[in-house]
Amino acid sequence: MKARSEFRNVHHVCMVSDFFYPNMGGVESHIYHLAQCLRARGHKVIIVTHAYGNRTGIRYLTNGMKAYYLPMLPFYNQCALPTVFTTLPIMRQIFIREKITVVHGHSAFSTLAHEAMFHARTMNINAVFTDHSLFGFADASSIITNAILRFSLSGVNHGICVSNTSKENTVLRSGINPELVSVIPNAVDAVMFTPDPSQRTPGQITIVVVSRLVYRKGIDLLAGVIPSICEKYPDVQFLIGGDGPKRVLLEEVREQHQLHNRVKLLGTIAHTEVRNVLVKGDIFLNPSLTEAFCIAIVEAASCGLQVVSTRVGGVPEVLPPEFIRLAQPSVSSLLTEVEGAIHDHRMGLYLPVHVAHNRIKAMYRWQDVARQTEAVYDRLQLSPALDSWERITMYRNSGPFAGIIFTMLAIINYFFLWFLEWWQPLENIDVLSEAPLDTSGSFSDNHDITGSSSNRKLCKEN
Amino acid sequence: MADKKKWKKILYENQGVPDNYVDETFLDEMRKNVYTREYEYWNVVKESGTLTQQASSVCIFVVIFIYMDNNSIKPEILFIVSSILTLIGYIVYHVISHNNGIAQGNSRTWWDDFKTCVIFIGFGFGLSPVLMTLTDTISTDTIYAMTAFMLIANVIFHDYSATAPVVSGALSLNAAIFASVCLASRLHTTWHAFATVSFAVEIFALWPEFRRKLKKNVQYSQVTMTITLGVATSVSIATVSLTGAVIFSLLHIFVTFICPAWLISLQPYKNNIYGPWDEAVIEK
Repeated sequence: MKARSEFRNVHHVCMVSDFFYPNMGGVESHIYHLAQCLRARGHKVIIVTHAYGNRTGIRYLTNGMKAYYLPMLPFYNQCALPTVFTTLPIMRQIFIREKITVVHGHSAFSTLAHEAMFHARTMNINAVFTDHSLFGFADASSIITNAILRFSLSGVNHGICVSNTSKENTVLRSGINPELVSVIPNAVDAVMFTPDPSQRTPGQITIVVVSRLVYRKGIDLLAGVIPSICEKYPDVQFLIGGDGPKRVLLEEVREQHQLHNRVKLLGTIAHTEVRNVLVKGDIFLNPSLTEAFCIAIVEAASCGLQVVSTRVGGVPEVLPPEFIRLAQPSVSSLLTEVEGAIHDHRMGLYLPVHVAHNRIKAMYRWQDVARQTEAVYDRLQLSPALDSWERITMYRNSGPFAGIIFTMLAIINYFFLWFLEWWQPLENIDVLSEAPLDTSGSFSDNHDITGSSSNRKLCKEN
Repeated sequence: MADKKKWKKILYENQGVPDNYVDETFLDEMRKNVYTREYEYWNVVKESGTLTQQASSVCIFVVIFIYMDNNSIKPEILFIVSSILTLIGYIVYHVISHNNGIAQGNSRTWWDDFKTCVIFIGFGFGLSPVLMTLTDTISTDTIYAMTAFMLIANVIFHDYSATAPVVSGALSLNAAIFASVCLASRLHTTWHAFATVSFAVEIFALWPEFRRKLKKNVQYSQVTMTITLGVATSVSIATVSLTGAVIFSLLHIFVTFICPAWLISLQPYKNNIYGPWDEAVIEK
């Protein structure tokens, strides 16, 4: 690490995704934390997303991090309308103004990210893509997303996945060379997820579930587990955070078995409140049916809870066996593991909470994520740049029929770019002067949403 | 790392390999074509009869309409013949059920069936003057176009006992009855309209049910039925239009012999991928 820090390239990174604050979710906080930590390492990072309500234009987040909210309407699930070419003029302006050297797109669902990476490659800027989710291969929606991904990734220089399973999935879906995909796990803000055993109910065992209440998160399994556990163990209670269409199912189960005093449904909880719910519990249960990484179990483990989860997607890779019990996605298997966890709890066979917290803290740190991501950027600069013709050939090779369409799109984009270069010449675009990088936090009054000061400290300690 | 430890698929430890390291176990957990079905050619040929039988039934219906339009067949004759055939079918259906010891789940007696039948005939006869004039004001070309659409819809959505989202027995039957009402209005008397609609109910509602029963319980009935219906339909179309008969026969042969071979030849290209990234199915 020392050798690298001696001569370090400063990257001008543009993070692009449809998903960013004020929207809440895993991708949003990933981008935010990664960007903050990259800035703390001396890089220049801006964020590009689409407008949220009347939040348009340029905003400054904590630490003066710049975010462009492009004036585009989301049309479905917070995604911008896919128009392929129409975003080129504004993207070109931003890339030139900010002297961007790397465009980093996030999430396979985000049309804005795909378009930005496509334009970046046309302008011969390096593009990196982080895939946050897993896809099947059977249903219509995944077939379409896979086709888009195949197109998008055949141009991208490097891919990043959050787990090994996610990497296998991405490689299969996009046909990209596996050497060009790095596995960089997510991280937790360990400062936010500290244990507090005094919050627990003495003499009782509390099982916590925090998840959106939807089918994919395995709420049907949960509904099968609750009555049996409550019947067998009179000292066990459930604490369930989150909301969604499957809430009705849980309410039904609670009604049917008269468990109102033992199953608490908290509804939606803000991200900042999650920790306060987690510390009340002894066991964390994740019944999800599909997960690329599952940050929730890491957060729970960081708060010192024993974790029980289904063995799906990337979950088995995330925690060492002493932290987690893995079950098959069936009610009976999940029951066995929950009972095992209750037994362990009674016998005291679990890691002391502070030991667990400290181990997790060292395992998944945003600084490591930033360092690894930086290594990816560094490697890109060493690899030889492709000229336009080589790039078009790459698109052509990505499929017998699709290849023709991809090639056509790429060529049209080149023509459009040439037209723009004549219409809005380079010298007419204001390039930002090299202001000193602001890592001192002089903008820190502008606590936009999550502006956690703890996070800033965290990123600077490296 | 001097001693090369075996790489594990974990994230919680730094294993001393670059982030883009590809282990030899990469994609080991991938499975291909787990649930693929092996098809046997003659079996598929036999099963294709289910489709051609329905198509034949539709053609016979249209041919009967043309006969009535030409006055080559009297509606009374059609009604009597089709009723007798239905009665025979009804008896055979019950004999088969009885022989196979199938308990009548819905405890309907022949008396219930008789009542339904009387009610239907009564209403059909009473309403046929209305049916006859219902679409009088619509141009004949529109009626024919609509009928064609509806009959195609009948063939597409018919329940061939396949589990697919496109199957809808109700939609299929309604489309066919709608087509018959359209055609009924182009005929000459209320008797014609009544005969057409009741024939449509017999051939589109009762007949497929009967064929399903036969196929399930009587050996060789599927092949016999396909051949008999196919030949009968070709001959009856030939009396109206020779070109039509040739096209029908060619289509019939295409569906019966070439499509199954096509399906089997495409089967090796099937490439379904399964792995740990799939959404788990809740095990019971």
